[in-house]
Amino acid sequence: MLKGFNHGLRKFWSDLTSGDLLILAFSIVLAVTAISGVSFLGDRLKSSIKQQASVVLAADLSFRSASDLGAQYLELAATQSLGVAETVSFLSMVIANEDNLLSSIKATTPSYPLRGKLVITDFNGQVIEHGGSPKRGYLWVEPKLVEQLGLEQNNEMAIGKATFIVEGILQDFPDRNVGFLAFSPTVIANINDLDAMGVIQTGSRVVYRNLFSGSENNIGEFLENIEPVPAEIRVQKIDDIGDQLGRTLDRSTRFFNLAGLFTIIIAAISSMIAARRYADRHLLNTSLMKVFGASKNFIVASQVTQLILMILIATSVGLFFGYLLQSILIGVLKDLIDAELPSASFKPIGIAFLTSFCLVFGAASPYLKLLGEAEPIRILRNDFQFKLKNNLAIYAVALFTLVVFLLLLFEDIFLVSSIMGAMIMLASVLYVIGSLMVYLLSFFQSSSGIGWKLGLKNIVHRRSESVLQIVVFGLSLMFLMVLAETRTGLIDSWKETLSEDTPNYFFFNIQDYELPEIKAYLDQELDTATVFTPLIRGRLLSVQPKEGVLMKSGEMIDRESNLTWYDDIPDNNQVVEGSWWTDDAGNQMEVSIDSGIAASMGLSIGDQLNFAAGGTNFTAIVSNFREVTWESFAPNFFFVLSPELGRDLPQSFITSVKIPTDSNQISKGFVERFPTVTSVDLNAALQQVRSIIGSASLAVQYIFILALIAGILTLIASVFSSADQRKKESAILHTLGAKRSKIFQSAAAEFLVLGLLSGFTAVFAATLFSGFLSTQVFDLNYKPNIFVLGLGFTVGVLSISIAGTLAIRKTIYTSPVVTLRNS
Amino acid sequence: MATNNKKCLVKDSILEVKNITKEVNSPEGVLTIIKNINLSIDSGDVVSIVGPSGSGKTTLLAIMAGLDLPTEGSINLLGSEITTLNEDKRSQIRGKDVGFVFQSFHLLPRLSALDNVMLPLEISGSKHAQEKAKEALVRVGLEKRVQHFPNQLSGGEKQRVAIARAMVNNPKILFADEPTGNLDKSSSTAVSELLFSVNQSMDTTLIIVTHDLTLADQCNTLHELAEGELIC
Repeated sequence: MLKGFNHGLRKFWSDLTSGDLLILAFSIVLAVTAISGVSFLGDRLKSSIKQQASVVLAADLSFRSASDLGAQYLELAATQSLGVAETVSFLSMVIANEDNLLSSIKATTPSYPLRGKLVITDFNGQVIEHGGSPKRGYLWVEPKLVEQLGLEQNNEMAIGKATFIVEGILQDFPDRNVGFLAFSPTVIANINDLDAMGVIQTGSRVVYRNLFSGSENNIGEFLENIEPVPAEIRVQKIDDIGDQLGRTLDRSTRFFNLAGLFTIIIAAISSMIAARRYADRHLLNTSLMKVFGASKNFIVASQVTQLILMILIATSVGLFFGYLLQSILIGVLKDLIDAELPSASFKPIGIAFLTSFCLVFGAASPYLKLLGEAEPIRILRNDFQFKLKNNLAIYAVALFTLVVFLLLLFEDIFLVSSIMGAMIMLASVLYVIGSLMVYLLSFFQSSSGIGWKLGLKNIVHRRSESVLQIVVFGLSLMFLMVLAETRTGLIDSWKETLSEDTPNYFFFNIQDYELPEIKAYLDQELDTATVFTPLIRGRLLSVQPKEGVLMKSGEMIDRESNLTWYDDIPDNNQVVEGSWWTDDAGNQMEVSIDSGIAASMGLSIGDQLNFAAGGTNFTAIVSNFREVTWESFAPNFFFVLSPELGRDLPQSFITSVKIPTDSNQISKGFVERFPTVTSVDLNAALQQVRSIIGSASLAVQYIFILALIAGILTLIASVFSSADQRKKESAILHTLGAKRSKIFQSAAAEFLVLGLLSGFTAVFAATLFSGFLSTQVFDLNYKPNIFVLGLGFTVGVLSISIAGTLAIRKTIYTSPVVTLRNS
Repeated sequence: MATNNKKCLVKDSILEVKNITKEVNSPEGVLTIIKNINLSIDSGDVVSIVGPSGSGKTTLLAIMAGLDLPTEGSINLLGSEITTLNEDKRSQIRGKDVGFVFQSFHLLPRLSALDNVMLPLEISGSKHAQEKAKEALVRVGLEKRVQHFPNQLSGGEKQRVAIARAMVNNPKILFADEPTGNLDKSSSTAVSELLFSVNQSMDTTLIIVTHDLTLADQCNTLHELAEGELIC
């Protein structure tokens, strides 16, 4: 074996430069460039998006409760190398300059925020140095407070029993709540001033938060150590946000994973084609070595040494190009991403090496095995059959290893298993369709001109190879079309979420007697029919399941909730189980529940929910579950009562509207005219969401381009891999008198037909696959994108035809004697 | 054609073939390539095996050289029952004591003439491989073609490189499968002379499968195969 190793080392450079090993090395470089480019870029962008998302929490993990959490979790977290901070938030009137305003008081510790930035300026706009909380006796206030109360630098402001100095203006801060929670301008105070304020009494409505930050592993370990967390504490991680940011993060992460997975599969196809070609051409060499006395171990050691060396060099080169590629892309994206991107991790390097080894040895192993089994003379006389069934075990192991590796890499069992399963199924379908099409072609081959006749004959007579090429081309084209459709669908859905018409103001606390006047004002100013939604403050007391015992505690139970009622189901809601109430259904005492909440509470249709609202207790029967588009900035509710129940309960009204950003007189005029109505300006929050979605969209585009490059290179590689036999044939045709134009025509006809057959099967498969992915993985509605499919079909067919013709172009212009001598 | 025994000396048997049969599967069913072949070859002998195309000559040669296994029977080559040995053991014997020359030359296209001849030496780990290989090429008259690649050589030159490669390890026995089959008359003569000179100078046993009756006539012993059976 040592002799074999030495032999492999000695021959490595000459074998590398001689051709076949170089082609394999090149395909590995391309595969690794694409894979590592996707991995490096995706890795950094995923981290960046997660970082931006964690700004929403001002931490990586948050515990939230209506009662004091105490110090236990903070103390424990500190011992586990986690960053800790604390906030206490409540509503209170603030008084300044003989005026008052309902405000959201946030008392913080100096370590706040753990993620994101606090930006405090003085009244001249100069940024002031600060910690996470003002000094005792001082406050930071949002600009709206300055405006409404006419504040100036160092004015006094009273909160409860204490008086403070207004030190600075709160220009930016993380953990802005979207929707109802950010309903008043924010004041930040020192947490140690709470007692002095004396506002918090028994029964006060307060939100206590413990914030934690650290590595994913440390956060995970911390959570494991403290489980189970009491039901009254709401645990929030970045992924659990449940609002539009969480979904954006989830979808973009899934797309990165999908693109990465497709790139690896496409690259795997291309590398395995190259590896197979290399091994096939080396059978002769290695059989001869056996004739001259080389043992199986010698041959295997020599081949394995060369392959390992090639993998190490090619993968390193590919990693370099992959890193370079993502650096260029990051440079382009940098203007549009506000956040500093985290450094690339080492994970893509490990991925690249593992992938290369899997691909090359997966493809080469059956040939190495053959060398050990077949008698050398049979290989030399081409008197052997490479039987797939005899190598099924090897292919099965290689496939299994790839699946396990992909599962470890992407950490998304559903995505990986569904993609791999779909791929195997589709490859089988493509094989059947391809075989059928090749069979049908045989009826046309005699009825065409010589060029076409030869082209079609070649496809029919090389049946196995033709069908294999249809499968490879078809899979590659299909993956690209699916990625293109999914990318387009994802970006379109985000654009819809944050279109120009997305509401940027909430108005609530609107009383019924104010409603007509407010509606008239807004309708006139905004030239639209404003829709108002009733808001009922209530509490879910208990749940009586259809079968089971009464539940008096648990998620959502014994908590204040915002309820509403509708006659008709709103546009951004969809009934997924049960049925909506109708006018003629009689005395309905029903409730509709958000499907996510229903699942987490374990509710079923027909369960009874016992509520208290407006001084009355009532029971509602669960009649349906709804899927809610939480990303829309319209008022959304977990619980919707039927009109019979909700109409007569004490209620106020809310609405969300779009006020043009250059028309702040409208919002100012509204506040002046209707001072009792609370208004919430969402522009800052929207901007934050737009920024994240913007970077996610661009990242999705660029990763798609990388995958596209890999796909096109795979097509070209598989075309060139079959070029040898065609070169020899074209040389023979030449010697028999065929004109160059006819030989060209024959090659062009062959590849055009192969391209067309592959294209049609790819479009069919892509439609099925995109539909599955869009609805089951990305939770989007699917409609075939005719433009994308048509473009993919056209580009694919042209690429295959042109590549195929180019592959033998040189041979056509070379003397046939030279070609045959070299073959 | 009658058996032509021109043995002058009684020598040790270097190769014993006993009841060799080779069958293969084909679309038409089991095909018998050769059947019940028995022969014995002495050390230093020059043996030719003739017969029409498809008579099983090449198959018999490959089995005798240990490159293929029979369906039935045994081969004793250089004192070893090679039919009972695994492929590695047979490779070992081939590397040390057996040379093989093919009709299609089978030179590695991306190696020079020198590198092709060095191959068996590198496999066996022999020292001074380059010098020995050069010497072998000089012996076959190709001292001016040492760095040429196979596509730069004529058919006769390629076959001479192949012979040099087969002889470089000083084998005790050399198998040649239609060594002049792809050559013109003058190249054929040159190659034939080369092979016989190897036998003369190195006392290497030669076993040649050939259609060339002129070549066959020059051998000491002649065996004829017809339809897989040994006629003489």
